[in-house]
Amino acid sequence: MANARGLRILIATVRVPFVEGGAELHAQGLRRELVAAGHRAEIVSVPFKWYPPRRILDQMLACRLLDLTAAGGARVDCLIALKFPAYLIPHTNKVVWVLHQHRQAYDLWQHPMGDLHDHPHGAEVRDAIHQADMDLLPQARRLFANSRNVADRLRTYCGIEAAPLYHPPPAAQEFYSGAAEDFLFYPSRLNALKRQRLVIEALALTRAKVRVRFAGTDIDLGYQEGCMALARRSRLQSRVEWLGGISEPAKRDLYARSLGVLFPTLDEDYGYVTLEAMLAHKPVIACADSGGPLEFVVNRKTGLICDPTPQALAGAMDELWENRDTARQWGEAGRQHYTDLRIDWGTVLERLLP
Amino acid sequence: MKVLILTSGVPFIRGGAEILADSLRDAVCAAGHQAEIVALPFQSCPPSRIPEQMLACRLLDVTETCSVRIDRVIGLKFPAYLVPHPHKVVWLLHQHRTAYELWDHPAAGDLIHYPDGPVVREAIRQADRTFLPEATAIYTLSKNVSGRLRRYSGIDSKPLYNPPAHAPLFHKGPAGDYFFFPSRINPVKRQWLVIQALAVCREPVRVRFAGEADNEAQQAECTKAVRELRLSDRVEWLGVVSEERKRDEYANSLGVVFPPVDEDYGYVTLEAMLSSKPVITCADSGGPLEFVVDNQTGLIADATPESIADAMDCLWAGRRRAATMGEAGREHYLDLKIDWENVVDKLLC
Repeated sequence: MANARGLRILIATVRVPFVEGGAELHAQGLRRELVAAGHRAEIVSVPFKWYPPRRILDQMLACRLLDLTAAGGARVDCLIALKFPAYLIPHTNKVVWVLHQHRQAYDLWQHPMGDLHDHPHGAEVRDAIHQADMDLLPQARRLFANSRNVADRLRTYCGIEAAPLYHPPPAAQEFYSGAAEDFLFYPSRLNALKRQRLVIEALALTRAKVRVRFAGTDIDLGYQEGCMALARRSRLQSRVEWLGGISEPAKRDLYARSLGVLFPTLDEDYGYVTLEAMLAHKPVIACADSGGPLEFVVNRKTGLICDPTPQALAGAMDELWENRDTARQWGEAGRQHYTDLRIDWGTVLERLLP
Repeated sequence: MKVLILTSGVPFIRGGAEILADSLRDAVCAAGHQAEIVALPFQSCPPSRIPEQMLACRLLDVTETCSVRIDRVIGLKFPAYLVPHPHKVVWLLHQHRTAYELWDHPAAGDLIHYPDGPVVREAIRQADRTFLPEATAIYTLSKNVSGRLRRYSGIDSKPLYNPPAHAPLFHKGPAGDYFFFPSRINPVKRQWLVIQALAVCREPVRVRFAGEADNEAQQAECTKAVRELRLSDRVEWLGVVSEERKRDEYANSLGVVFPPVDEDYGYVTLEAMLSSKPVITCADSGGPLEFVVDNQTGLIADATPESIADAMDCLWAGRRRAATMGEAGREHYLDLKIDWENVVDKLLC
């Protein structure tokens, strides 16, 4: 590894078919940057399905059985693994950059958002996942976490030390700012972890006629339909817009024109939304249990951190709605904070491949 | 429908199978479905690792995604087609060839050289016999692949032809003074056989080779043979060419030489036909024999330098005949009705 130029690098990750998310963008971004730095890099993704729980064990074994030591007769110099169980794939020069562990076996165990604990074999599968992580993650040559939040979980649950390593959201340089209009923006997949429902409940309690635009969708439309029904029942149709899946330029435009960004997600690993809001000079409202966003939002300086209750969230939304100057100042401070954090791919590559 | 395309590949290598998987995905999407490719890494060396990767495929679960059913999977390559699914259709590009017809091939055989080669070969054959029939339907790339599957595994299947990528863009130009041979440069494609044929041609036949060598040694061997046989002014190595350049080289050639060993299918034959050019192939070339009609759309030679030399001389000296054969090849292609709509209909019915 004396000469880090021109390596043959594989990026190992898992993919849930037909679901595009941050992890795919992360892998693609990493690949693009490695190629730009003169390496040959490709993504290997293994399909993943986490239910019934015993199937997880099969797929962990499948990953252990794959062979990425060489490709086409030539050595693979480095394996950069991102997600469970793909990070179990063996390689003598493996760098693991943990996007997240299998959360149902850790922070979501016995949590209303998890369900592994409800299954008859849940505990045995959880134990196997813990064992595999504790035995095999330390085999990596270097170990990083996507965020401090992910690193903290690794230490808390597995006693493993990993360095947080931040990376920029896709197309970071394309974000811009514009004059604030009368809406808060919440772009994210629509599911229980992102808590769009909490936003609807809060909207019913705001003093001001706060308006919210949601962008995003999900493969399972049940949650979204529930949120929409709740908005109708609460007579909030005129204050809520469901934009569905939108293009990247449209998303950047909405960031630029928003008054601020809502991101009351539950224990997010990292969260591009926070960073994108900062790049668009917008204040962010997150919750005290939102995880990743708390590493970036400075309360009352670049946004607001509130309790995850409809009342507290309503209070935060009212505060931004009624104090436009403050909102603007916090947005500017957020942009400055992003710059100060030095989140860039050059730094990432230096640390992954020193 | 949600459709997953299952294939295996070697990271960093992009070849015909990858292009086919992409084209299939695009065609399935164009028919109004959702389609994605699952490309599993496959490492065939050392052989002892092969059964482990077969097992890995059996352990994967692609029946649903986030509680939403995956309606159909289409398995293309070993060992990815072993992944279980209740509605799996196999469109077999090829089995693991060195466990079958290439087992004792002098240049291509690999398993045979390992102490555990026979055991691994048996494991592969056993898995194919046991698990391929799980599929609700089995199609193959060509009659040639179907024939092998029948012969070695006792499994019946139907050939299902697909068009080369960008088929509508192939065109015909004035016939120049060269034969064109586009392919990866390796012993299975037999560029060396064409070089040896050139040395015994009576006519001053010229050949342009396009494509990348699998490794530098193979390119070096070919280059050395050209030098030793004093053929430098009659051979050109174009290396990797763009698709556009490739189509132009087809269009402006006198004809196409394509003498591989037991090719599964062979887009080169079809591309030549689309470009209205005659094809010279060999009696043991496999796939091309399903398309080349001897003396009508091309010439089928024996796999010897002398026989290939005769065929090249014949077209070189009979340019009008070459042109007529090329036109007949184009007609023949159109008669075969090779298109993606048909492929998607069959695979999703």
